[in-house]
Amino acid sequence: MNRHNAYVNGQKGYSSRESGNLSISPHRFQPRSQPALRRRRQLLIRLGIAGCSSLLLMLIFFPSIRSTFLTVLTLGLMSSSDVEQLQLETVRYYDLSESGGTARGWEHEERVLMCAPLRDAESHLPMFFSHLHNFTYPHHLVDLAFLVSDSKDNTLQLLSQMLTDLQNDPDPKQPFGEISVIEKDFGQKVNQDVESRHGFAAQASRRKLMAQARNWLLSAALRPTHSWVYWRDADVETAPFTILEDLMRHNKDVIVPNVWRPLPDWLGGEQPYDLNSWQESETALALADTLDEDAVIVEGYAEYATWRPHLAYLRDPYGDPDMEMEIDGVGGVSILAKAKVFRSGVHFPAFSFEKHAETEGFGKMAKRMQFSVVGLPHYTVWHLYEPSVDDIRHMEEMEQERRNRENEEKERVERMKKIKEEFNDQGSQWEKDKNAIDGISQKEEQIRKEHDAAMAAQEEKGPAAQAGKETAEGAASKDSKDSKVAKDTKDAIDAKEGKGTKNAKNVKDTEDTANEKEVEEAEVVKDT
Amino acid sequence: MALPRSIRRTSPITLILAAVLSFGFLVFLFAPSSNSGAVSTAKRKIANAAAHPLSPPTAPFVKPDASLNGLSKPPPVVHYHLNNVTTTADPIGNQETVLILTPLARFYQGYWNNLLALSYPHSLIALGFIIPKTKEGHTATAALQAAIATTQQGPEGKRFASVTILRQDFDPPISSQDESERHKKENQKARRAAMSRARNSLLFTTLGPSTSWVLWLDADIVETPPTLIQDLAFHDKPVLVPNCFQRFTNEENKPDTRPYDYNSWQDSQVAADMARDMGPEDIIFEGYADIATYRTLMAMTADRSETRNQQAIIPLDGVGGTALLVKAEVHRDGAMFPPFPFYHLIETEGFAKMARRLGWGCFGLPNYFVYHYNE
Repeated sequence: MNRHNAYVNGQKGYSSRESGNLSISPHRFQPRSQPALRRRRQLLIRLGIAGCSSLLLMLIFFPSIRSTFLTVLTLGLMSSSDVEQLQLETVRYYDLSESGGTARGWEHEERVLMCAPLRDAESHLPMFFSHLHNFTYPHHLVDLAFLVSDSKDNTLQLLSQMLTDLQNDPDPKQPFGEISVIEKDFGQKVNQDVESRHGFAAQASRRKLMAQARNWLLSAALRPTHSWVYWRDADVETAPFTILEDLMRHNKDVIVPNVWRPLPDWLGGEQPYDLNSWQESETALALADTLDEDAVIVEGYAEYATWRPHLAYLRDPYGDPDMEMEIDGVGGVSILAKAKVFRSGVHFPAFSFEKHAETEGFGKMAKRMQFSVVGLPHYTVWHLYEPSVDDIRHMEEMEQERRNRENEEKERVERMKKIKEEFNDQGSQWEKDKNAIDGISQKEEQIRKEHDAAMAAQEEKGPAAQAGKETAEGAASKDSKDSKVAKDTKDAIDAKEGKGTKNAKNVKDTEDTANEKEVEEAEVVKDT
Repeated sequence: MALPRSIRRTSPITLILAAVLSFGFLVFLFAPSSNSGAVSTAKRKIANAAAHPLSPPTAPFVKPDASLNGLSKPPPVVHYHLNNVTTTADPIGNQETVLILTPLARFYQGYWNNLLALSYPHSLIALGFIIPKTKEGHTATAALQAAIATTQQGPEGKRFASVTILRQDFDPPISSQDESERHKKENQKARRAAMSRARNSLLFTTLGPSTSWVLWLDADIVETPPTLIQDLAFHDKPVLVPNCFQRFTNEENKPDTRPYDYNSWQDSQVAADMARDMGPEDIIFEGYADIATYRTLMAMTADRSETRNQQAIIPLDGVGGTALLVKAEVHRDGAMFPPFPFYHLIETEGFAKMARRLGWGCFGLPNYFVYHYNE
């Protein structure tokens, strides 16, 4: 190889004086095909191809390294995260006036947030989910939010299982919208809050705690897309499937149905349950003024006689279910409210707000912000009947009573049976005796008849007959007809007695003999 | 035939150097450590992202696959462990998410720049805005959206976890946002009631299940220390408010500062007596000469010297909302901004009262400043 050629094409980089030694004509320069070089080049190409194909295979079989190579190939301009970030949306835009809530929300695709606070509710869940399945409001427009707090039973596991099944339901109409299960324990707070000595005071702190749970649930689950919020307790036994639409149709800011519960017959069959829906009364307002800042008025305790008209007591089973009633406090079993109520800041006061807490305070606060709060006295949902401690005791007493009664009954039957058996023995004995007596009396009768016949020959035959009859009467009193006849005879004889006193002694003698005979006979009877 | 030539011409040393260099390149390109920060941030973002558009607005979500034609799978069952949401003095160490909420009427670039300058990891920050549906609001929305688009497509580290823009569903009671009009006493009640409703709407729809802290930051706060969140969270107080001042040019044409927000105060006996004699619908406003409350105003107790103790902390009875750090659990318990007279207080001052009724304390940092925009 000529080392003096500075240019690739073989031109000299400098003028050479020894031009004669060198062949400088360009056409004579042929880069000779060197086999070694060619082989090396081919080797390089083959290596390259092999490398590429192996890389390709690796990319196919090991997806995990794809992103790394992709980053390298694109010189990091499009990083791996970017590829996935392209699928990520970070900005959301909502116009809240689109989620104001209208009377026919299902036609406007209005989303409903359904909130259910749960605590040791495992036993109620199957019932609750059967209600969910039956809801007629389009399920995909209903978001479910649960707060599971301080549960000692299997609530959480069962809940997630049932929710997963619900979302995987093959029927496309069954799955609901967003589902949030919020786990939060307030337990510690309860212990801190032991300001209570007796049940009535405990009621206030219990209500505050429940209010806190509701607020945590709502604040975590409310979204800008929600037009309505529906609060529902897990222990509702019976409610119309169309309850969301039914309540929505009234187009009120806050609306509650009447809540009753069925009772066993011995308690009257049914009973108003939720006493927290009421209209404010002057008495209660005056009472509120006398209480200190942290006091909470709770309904249903003698300490606070409020004389408020309760929604529950105004129910007429045949009343118009669409009838509305303005109320001030609301119960929490089933509340439908427009989301804008909660967006404005109305919540469940976990402190004493105008002397009320939780749902009653919620009603008060909604009123304070000029929202309409309405109850439906004749539209009823039925709360599950769970016997109270008193009821359970009462039921135990009743059960005991029933058992006692049963035992008594059994004893009585047995006694009766025994008595009857004894009575039957006596009866047969009686029968025998009677037959025997009858036999005797018949014999006597015969004797007497003969005697009578003999006497008839004489003038005074009656007294003998009478004596005979009387004997029969003493033996078997049921022969009253005979005895009457005998009596008649006797009367007749008595009448005659005055006529012939001379014969009286005679008659008496006959009688005495008859009596003696009878006594003898009775002794015979006794012996047998 | 350049290639064979050059290869032939290279000496072994050159080849070795080239090999070393290319090896270095490969190491640089493939080594995960080279850009670990960005990658881990991105990974965390993806891990935090929700699988479905129906999800809390404080997290990004994976866009639904357009090819499915709307036939997407029903949303999954999501568990949120609120027991694990902490609020501690070390929010970065515990990966606590902060929700910055801003009722917006006008968009100031200074506000946005200040927000971008915050040193708290942006992947832990979610933003929420509520804007009235007025002409001015539309303009502000457009400006805000442009700023958001730039940021969220910009460098990884500056992007926020998620941004929610809400449009108010009610009209503001007074149309003018002029300083003078805004602060007239007659307008105060209606204005602050509307402001309360806007704040509550924003708060309760964006809070979500994972937020640890809520930072209320007004749209006209244009200057804060970049470590604002860390500094405030460090005190670990349920409700904490820094002192809001305003920069201006004084008569001598020198830059100066003056107090701006008078809503942070400690109550006085005079104000308490005044409240007792008031009707249930009356409100005591602060900062008006005809209502002399003799309350201790935090704005007036500030020490503006360079050597001041920024950590100084005082308990408060009323707080202002220009900049306000609140533990999310205070809001979750129900503390909101009353749009009605609550103990004769309204909006942020009423909020402080409600928080205290719920058993949470309110505090202020008199010597720690944030600055309000000067019109």
